[in-house]
Amino acid sequence: MNAYYSELFSFHLPEVILTGGALLVLAADLLLGKFSSEPVRRALAALLGMLAMGFAAEALSPYLRGDTSALGQLCLLGLSGLTLLLIAGTSRLRHPAEHVALTLFATVGFSLMVTANNLLLVFLAFELSSITLYILAGFDKSSPASAEAALKYFLYGSVAAAFLLFGFSLLYGLTGEIELAELGAKLSVLPASPLLVIAWIMILAGFGYKAAAAPFHLWAPDAYQGAPAPSAALIAAGSKLAGMLLLVRLFAEIGFSPLGPALQTALALLIAASLLLGNVAALVQSNFRRLLAYSAIGHAGIVLLMIGIAPADPQMAFGDVLYYLLTYGLASVGAFGVAAVLEANDARGQKLSDFAGLWQRSPFLTICLLVFILSLAGVPPLAGFFAKFNAFYDVLGSLDSAALTSSPFFWLVLLAIAMSAVALYYYLQVLKQAFIAPAEETRPLRIALPATTALLFAAAGIVLLGIFPEHFLRLLF
Amino acid sequence: MVDSLFYFFAAMMLAAALFVVVSRNPVNSAMGMILALVGVGANFFLLDAPFLGVLQILVYAGAVMVLFLFIIMLLDVDQAAKIPVPWTTVLFGLVLLAVFSGAVWWLVNGADALPTPENVSATPAALPGAENPGAFTSGAKSFGYSLFTKYMLPVQIAGFLLLIAMIGVVTLSKKQKQA
Repeated sequence: MNAYYSELFSFHLPEVILTGGALLVLAADLLLGKFSSEPVRRALAALLGMLAMGFAAEALSPYLRGDTSALGQLCLLGLSGLTLLLIAGTSRLRHPAEHVALTLFATVGFSLMVTANNLLLVFLAFELSSITLYILAGFDKSSPASAEAALKYFLYGSVAAAFLLFGFSLLYGLTGEIELAELGAKLSVLPASPLLVIAWIMILAGFGYKAAAAPFHLWAPDAYQGAPAPSAALIAAGSKLAGMLLLVRLFAEIGFSPLGPALQTALALLIAASLLLGNVAALVQSNFRRLLAYSAIGHAGIVLLMIGIAPADPQMAFGDVLYYLLTYGLASVGAFGVAAVLEANDARGQKLSDFAGLWQRSPFLTICLLVFILSLAGVPPLAGFFAKFNAFYDVLGSLDSAALTSSPFFWLVLLAIAMSAVALYYYLQVLKQAFIAPAEETRPLRIALPATTALLFAAAGIVLLGIFPEHFLRLLF
Repeated sequence: MVDSLFYFFAAMMLAAALFVVVSRNPVNSAMGMILALVGVGANFFLLDAPFLGVLQILVYAGAVMVLFLFIIMLLDVDQAAKIPVPWTTVLFGLVLLAVFSGAVWWLVNGADALPTPENVSATPAALPGAENPGAFTSGAKSFGYSLFTKYMLPVQIAGFLLLIAMIGVVTLSKKQKQA
């Protein structure tokens, strides 16, 4: 092994460990699976998967101080770890080893997305995570809705990937570079050409799909509704965090170009559409998962708002987006975990009315749901509130205070605040069902131990990040 | 000569690609796609990248499309049924077409803003060596050399991408035993 290979190996050690872990999970199941029952296989696969994640986190730990992308990778590992616990807690799905291995592969994709430093790697990492998520979305073979979710996610996703690749190839054609740093340097001296505008619009379309921002959101409600709960949690949490951190880096490294204003207008349109459509459409949903999907579209609007300030202050934008999407991801994993518990017990649990009387059936689950929903709504002292507050504060702070009202971002912040009030209504509808509505079903709920652990970790994370945000933020800024 | 060859192959590609979309018979569509891919390969030759051109024809037009044909014939797909298209879809398609054509028109008109050799690349294309392993050349040897040095990581990732797709296909297509 020459010096170059060993350098590459040690730089990508977390990804190597995760990949090795995935292969080990598959091999162990192949060798031992014949002699053991389904629950044992599931436990073994999940245990090996968690071990691989633990070692990968260990490999990251020396870089945590002073390297924010390592912190981003660690957060992604945490969110994927919670998803693994959800997988260990669902007994309905078959093929546990493949399920765990694919989740590990998806995490490799996320991790590469955060560290990728050239366009080729960016695209491959994007596809690595996307293709894995398409498979995971269709993993419940007994449910036609799962197949529909996978098909829609796949069709939209592959078109979005084609757009992204087209945009990247235009950038390459303009400069002859694929390394982000050199690409940025060359773009900054280019005149504003229509080609550059079209390249960026295509890239925005690709990432808009990943973030489920309107008008590229059409897959989201169906995918969230039909995919098995752990997969939906991974799509909502890890995939979004990785995609948006990558977009911040792209904006920071190659967004300095003469077309800044045109790019901002396109971004502002995406933000306004996402905020309005997501929050207003969520008001009329009667399905819990669809409600989460539309609220995710609204949250995507706020995240893109933060990304809008990335060219001015990349470090701040990276930190804000990481903090926001980490809290959002914890809350979504938790919310999908609660839905998964209900589905496992009642064979339903998708409708809002299925949450009726939850307080009588399981106070623990209801308290967790309360934390997740209130954090999504942005109620203090939970982390969701500080994430939103931080976002609006930094976006307003980055604007020119003399010409505040002439900036579209000022009005978008006002719109986002107004829409947060709208969001409170539909989030409280869920809690109203859980706490006040009379119970149709009074059997106490049984919660598998791994699912309990996942819910506990997610809820504790949200509360701690909300009460002591400074410990986390100190690592970032 | 090169120009007229380019126009010939470009026209062939466009016509074949249109045929892929319009044809109702999937086998004919696949044939059209082979023709389009051969056109792409020919254009690689015209761009002085014979190795890429050969790969394009061998891998895509040869192996991948033959697999497509196998699958279409194995599944025994009939002619696509005539589904009536609602007028809103037609309208939306026309609007998109207009927007896209406008964008292309704008692009062509703004062609004077395209990069020139001066503002793109100061270094001439060099042969790859130990000090610049990924330099642009068109030969098979340098191609392989840069794949195993500069682009080692992307190659590995692409390999795992294929593995993941295989795992997915095996898992999803396996018959489910009654639980």
